[in-house]
Amino acid sequence: MRILIVEDELKTGDYLKQGLCEAGFNVTLARNGLDGFHLAMTESFALLILDVMLPDVSGLRIVQSIREAGNMTPVLFLSALDTVDDRVRGLELGADDYLVKPFAFNELLARARTLLRRGASQPAVQRLQISDLVLDLGKRQALRQGKKITLTQKEFALLELLMRREGEVLPRSLIASQIWDMNFDSDTNVIDVAIRRLRGKIDDDFSQKLIHTVRGMGYKIEAPLSDDSN
Amino acid sequence: MTPTNSPQPQKTRAPMSLTSRVMLFVAVAVFVCSVVLGSLLQSAIKEHFAEQDAEELQVVADSVRKILQNSNISSEQLPSALALAVVGHHGVYFQVSANAQTLYHSPGSDLDWLLNQVTPQQAVDAEALSSWQSGEKTFRGTVIQGPAQSKIAVATEIDFHLHFLHHFNDALWLTVAGSVVFTLFAAWLGVRQGLAPLKQFSDNITQVRADRLQLQLDPATSPDELRDLVQAFNQMMARLEHSFQQLANFSADIAHELRTPLTNMITQTQVSLGKDRSSEQYRDLLYSNLEEQERLATMVSDMLWLAKTDHGLIKPAFKPLNLRTELQVVFDFFESWAEDKQLQLQISGDAPALAGDKDMLRRAFSNLLSNPIRHASANSRINAELSYSANSGWTIAISNFGDAIAPAHLACLFDRFYRVDPSRQRQGEGAGLGLAIVKSIVELHGGTIFASSEVAGSEVAISEMASSEVAPAAQAAEQKTKAALVTFVIQIAAN
Repeated sequence: MRILIVEDELKTGDYLKQGLCEAGFNVTLARNGLDGFHLAMTESFALLILDVMLPDVSGLRIVQSIREAGNMTPVLFLSALDTVDDRVRGLELGADDYLVKPFAFNELLARARTLLRRGASQPAVQRLQISDLVLDLGKRQALRQGKKITLTQKEFALLELLMRREGEVLPRSLIASQIWDMNFDSDTNVIDVAIRRLRGKIDDDFSQKLIHTVRGMGYKIEAPLSDDSN
Repeated sequence: MTPTNSPQPQKTRAPMSLTSRVMLFVAVAVFVCSVVLGSLLQSAIKEHFAEQDAEELQVVADSVRKILQNSNISSEQLPSALALAVVGHHGVYFQVSANAQTLYHSPGSDLDWLLNQVTPQQAVDAEALSSWQSGEKTFRGTVIQGPAQSKIAVATEIDFHLHFLHHFNDALWLTVAGSVVFTLFAAWLGVRQGLAPLKQFSDNITQVRADRLQLQLDPATSPDELRDLVQAFNQMMARLEHSFQQLANFSADIAHELRTPLTNMITQTQVSLGKDRSSEQYRDLLYSNLEEQERLATMVSDMLWLAKTDHGLIKPAFKPLNLRTELQVVFDFFESWAEDKQLQLQISGDAPALAGDKDMLRRAFSNLLSNPIRHASANSRINAELSYSANSGWTIAISNFGDAIAPAHLACLFDRFYRVDPSRQRQGEGAGLGLAIVKSIVELHGGTIFASSEVAGSEVAISEMASSEVAPAAQAAEQKTKAALVTFVIQIAAN
């Protein structure tokens, strides 16, 4: 999938490009607003990541122009500004999401994936399965090796989130926001405790561990391919 | 005049000095008073002289009339008799005429013109006297009706009066000028004296510097008029000192908070680079650095958030919401952690909908809860009590049993980077901005927050703390004194 990054800050641009490339995206980097606008208008991208403060044409202008031209590619804003007005203005002009610097790269990755997924129609799945763990969404049941596991409502939601985004590292802030609707940096270890309790039910009694901690980034659920799980 | 009395505002439009204002007013007042007084005096004396002259002329006229009426005196004797009439009167002249014939005129005078021009009167009237000059001398006189169609012109020399008046005038205006100068000098001295406390005040103020803000002036030593000013100044200084102290502490705290993670990162990195290591070790280093960097990023975002609320850059998105629901959401969020620590979370009471910012209030509740959960002893309970009254609005009281907080700390709990126990700073807690953020959020909602710490009764404390082990007596006593009901109360006024 092609992603266009418009970012004038050299280091930020380079690292974003590298990070997204390594996450499996095809990344084009524009260093100024005009190039970015030109690329966005002439080529096809699955996602635009725009810095709001660009030396020539602001990110807000770019979004406005491409939306006026009928281009509905999802747009994620990056900004050092964080006033509600900016946010609202960005979103009103047609941006789809907004991240404030400094942000964690995995947060950006998670949001980018959410936006990319939004476009594609999601099949209404009834069953999610990873290895021998099965989540029956209809019956709201979790089974491991055929054995029923009792989960609380929140634990079920957490497991569903992890399984829907299998293999993806989910930052704690994203989990807090998606499961508990806590849309701020809560510097508590609530998520760690919740994951630990979920693990207690899902993983502890089994030799094959599915939920993995990615140090410094978050959690993911994945069937182990090799033996280098954490 | 004194040099200060030159109140011409030059091109710079500075207001007139206080001294000049006072002096100008005093000068005008003294001058007007002196001129009025001097003129009154002058006219009174002139009038007095005129009356004196009139009386004298009347006496002469009367005696002349008497002589003219006396039928025993023959016309030959008349001049000598008339000449005697003015004996004893210096410088008085008269002339008698009948039917345009001069019967007599005293030597050295010619009063013909007076007789011709002035209508004769029955008596001498001080106000109707004519004055004229003849030769070197000045006269004042009138014409009186004599017996049998005769007319008597009387006149007196008034040079000595004029002379006196002249001297008197000189003396008067000299006195006036002198008194104006003297009064002005006195006023100048008075103003200077009067303003001396102000000068003292300003001298004191010049000593104020950033490092010497604790200056307080004694209102008892100031005059009445300045006492309010001195008190206002003292209050201002106290406020300034407090803010300045806070700012200074704040900068020191920021530096301190930044220094620790930076030192960690630098040391770790330098040590790791000291020799070749395995990629596993490098990865560990990066992870460790990442943790510190995230801590720094969180702190910067929190500080930025606070700075923005200070400057009104963050506007809450107010929507009607139910506080109990919001508290419940936050409690659900903390539920697993609390269970893990064997804590009970309880909500009681209810309140009508409040216009608030959902995310902000959740953040505030979450900040208020995370500390108690982190530090509460096992099996204790955290209560949130919700109430509403028309008078005081919404009240949210979140209480738990924990370490007592000294009253001195209570007021500072919401200060940025404030920690009750400075040694307890880096045990997984934030940078000490949590409660400051809570306070900002509450204030954005037009509310207030305060904390209280009541040392609980021993039974309650022990049952609530429910330590299962039987602690040694000393430890139990210590626990008892430390255990307190710590309550955070948020009040949002109804409007």
